[in-house]
Amino acid sequence: MDCRETQTLLAAFHDGELPAVDRARVEDHLRGCLECGALLADLARADRSAGVPDPGPAYWDRFNARVMDRIDREADGPGVAVLRPKHGWMRQQLRYLVPAAAAAALVVVVVRYGGMGPVAPAPAVPPAVSEPAAPVSAGQRTAKAEPESDGQGWPSAGAGRDATDSVAPARAAKEAESPAVARRVPPPAIADERLATVTREERDRLADRSLPAGSKEASRDRAAAPAASGVPPPASFQRAPDGSPPVTAADGMPPGSPAERKKMGGAAAPMAERQAADMAKSASGMMMAKEQAAEAPSADSLGKTRSKAGPASLASAPAPAPAASPCELARTLAARERWKAAEDSQRACLAGDPDAPAREKGLVFLAELLDRQARFAEADAVIAEVDRTFPQSRPLDLYRQQRPMVQRQPVPVPGTR
Amino acid sequence: MSADLEAEKDERLAALAAGGDRGAFDALVTRHRQAVYRLCWSATGNAADADDAAQETFVRVYRSLPSYDPGRPFGPWLRKVAWNCGLSVRRDGIAGVPRVAEGDAPEAVDTAPGPEEAAAGNEERRRVAGAMAGLPADLRMVMVLRAVEGLSYAEIALAAGIPAGTVMSRLSRARTRLLAALGGGS
Repeated sequence: MDCRETQTLLAAFHDGELPAVDRARVEDHLRGCLECGALLADLARADRSAGVPDPGPAYWDRFNARVMDRIDREADGPGVAVLRPKHGWMRQQLRYLVPAAAAAALVVVVVRYGGMGPVAPAPAVPPAVSEPAAPVSAGQRTAKAEPESDGQGWPSAGAGRDATDSVAPARAAKEAESPAVARRVPPPAIADERLATVTREERDRLADRSLPAGSKEASRDRAAAPAASGVPPPASFQRAPDGSPPVTAADGMPPGSPAERKKMGGAAAPMAERQAADMAKSASGMMMAKEQAAEAPSADSLGKTRSKAGPASLASAPAPAPAASPCELARTLAARERWKAAEDSQRACLAGDPDAPAREKGLVFLAELLDRQARFAEADAVIAEVDRTFPQSRPLDLYRQQRPMVQRQPVPVPGTR
Repeated sequence: MSADLEAEKDERLAALAAGGDRGAFDALVTRHRQAVYRLCWSATGNAADADDAAQETFVRVYRSLPSYDPGRPFGPWLRKVAWNCGLSVRRDGIAGVPRVAEGDAPEAVDTAPGPEEAAAGNEERRRVAGAMAGLPADLRMVMVLRAVEGLSYAEIALAAGIPAGTVMSRLSRARTRLLAALGGGS
């Protein structure tokens, strides 16, 4: 065996990975070759020096307890991550089933009191006077009332009512039934939404920490009914086709026309879609999409429509305060992968001195924007700031888990180049 | 750690821990904490970040235990998590490149260096630490797993999720670069 062949096998020899035959041949060569022997010594030298300092027994004594403390603090152990959502789900179902049952009871009351009373006037001696005044459960009442003739089961409705009440109130009561029934629908819908993704609970919990109580409701309302967001339709979107339904204020499109929305280049995408897109694009945005929805759905769509509508429509549209926020603009730009512009907006957002939870998430988002531009050192500095300011930051922990994935993504070439 | 648990294999302990046996998880931590710390130190290049990363590694592993398949070897998976934590936990500097402070050069853990080696040790260790820091992460990982952890090529392949042939080529490139950076080699 010559030096060349020996040197190709030297590393494997050093690592103890050579078959016995090759090992013997290398050893033979090494006995008579100083040069190869020196190379082998270099390998050993490099390996030795790559050692790591041991922090000492005191460190190891506390190590396990610190791990366990951290696990307990974060309360996200295996029993939580996988098993608890089941219980959580059950609780969620109960949370909505109880109001749903109450709503059903209300519907029955409305139907009975409002609809049937006038049609069948109360008898002179109402048999139900002896019934308890306290409400019986909706199911019980319905079961009792069904076989009975109208009016007899609910004398108290007629008793408290003027006998001259007739068709008009009855119609009003009938009409009242519809919204009442409609109100029964959302809770199961929300429950289904919960069922769809268990991890959503986690995000909701995070959102709970940072959102004002009202904003979450607002978010849900806006997502469900964009028209209610109160943003005037930009002029360019008001020329709806003849006979078409009126455009909604928020998205500038007739409700229920996704194809047309698509035609508009996504500018008027509904909030739910935007939210989904943001969540897909933004790793750290997992927990922020909700906040974004809460703060700025209208702003987001307004920001998009601005570019279409031009300054004239801007002037005519009273811009609500959240619409101008750089925070939402940053999200919008990030969703378009305009990282630099998004970063600038996010910095402006943070300069606005947001409250602590918003700042915590905002900084994490900024770090992600920097990572996406391959400015890892700056992102590290931002992360260090979050670490210092918000010890045990949950958003940061989550982002750290996803950060390698974010960093591996190719940096898109900016459109301006 | 009880004697019973000490005798259990990693995979069995992981399964027990996934079922809520904290003693089993404690045994796993005790068994692997030094290897995890060394790997994290190698990824981060300093003690503070290595500590963070090592803690984070076990927290992450604990969270992931319910989805852990006991049919898969535990050690390589743990090392992979540790390395990723080490890369992501860095507080400053460029992610994935260890920050080696002046007083932070690793101490040789090798046994009984001779007097000459001891004299030249500090300077050389600093040079090696700098050279290691200069390696791309993929090369550094295989180098650390081999030189620090003493894993076989097959074990490194499992931990890094690459073929054994790639382990060998990366190790060779890593050593070539290291030796070039160290200088003074043959």
